[in-house]
Amino acid sequence: MRRFYLLGFLALMAFDTLAQISFKYAATQALPLEFSADWLLRVFGQPWIYGAFVGYIGAFFAWMTLLQHAPIGPAFAASHLELVSVMLLSVYLFDERIGPWQVVGALTIIAGIVCLALGEAELGGEAGDSVPPAPAHGTSSRTHADGHAH
Amino acid sequence: MSTELSTGMPAIAIVLWIANVLVDSGGQLAFKAAAGDPDAGAGVARWKWMLARRWIWVGIACYVAEFVLWLSFLSLVPLSEGVLLGSINIVAIMIAGRYWFAEKLTRLRVAGMVLISIGVAVVGLQ
Repeated sequence: MRRFYLLGFLALMAFDTLAQISFKYAATQALPLEFSADWLLRVFGQPWIYGAFVGYIGAFFAWMTLLQHAPIGPAFAASHLELVSVMLLSVYLFDERIGPWQVVGALTIIAGIVCLALGEAELGGEAGDSVPPAPAHGTSSRTHADGHAH
Repeated sequence: MSTELSTGMPAIAIVLWIANVLVDSGGQLAFKAAAGDPDAGAGVARWKWMLARRWIWVGIACYVAEFVLWLSFLSLVPLSEGVLLGSINIVAIMIAGRYWFAEKLTRLRVAGMVLISIGVAVVGLQ
């Protein structure tokens, strides 16, 4: 069972990370940003946007599979761990700089997510009070919330 | 938006960020309304019931809009900053869930929301 959790959470994190990295690549390659058909053609005309789809779908199934066994509290926290992996990969892949304030902000957000996870664990199983584990950002989390709602 | 609030982000990025939070929260509420309908039944019948009603489509429309908003937002801000700022969606959805679905705000949840909000503010206002 430990192996199930470990692999499950790693898979979830990997798919979420893939989605975000793909989004960034797709956004960068479709530059300049403009609200036009041309921009949409540039977005869908290169492979990265499909990496984002794969990431979404994979994360959805990983999440649904995990929730068969995993307690919701730790699962909630783990489903946001991609914050860490995405930040580290942003430095490596996109040469982004992470300043001291960003580190402080990230640690505070992670502390908040841990509180929410503990809160979920505490309430665990109370029907009708499940807050959807919202995505770390708009898009990736929807799959979680959707999965959670069912 | 003024000069006192020098976030370093272009105004259009702030607009996209706020729009993303609103659309994401709206979409999650719509999905919750669809999935939580007590009259929906089970199995295939449940899906038929949901697909014949408005809420699931509102949710899907929000997804599509959000997809474009998030992509646009990431065109303008570094990814590491974007994912941190996006964490505010968790807070927005919890507050919305409190109002629309009378979900409990326990002490730990409030603590979590406050910490996430502070963290996002630190990243956004640095």
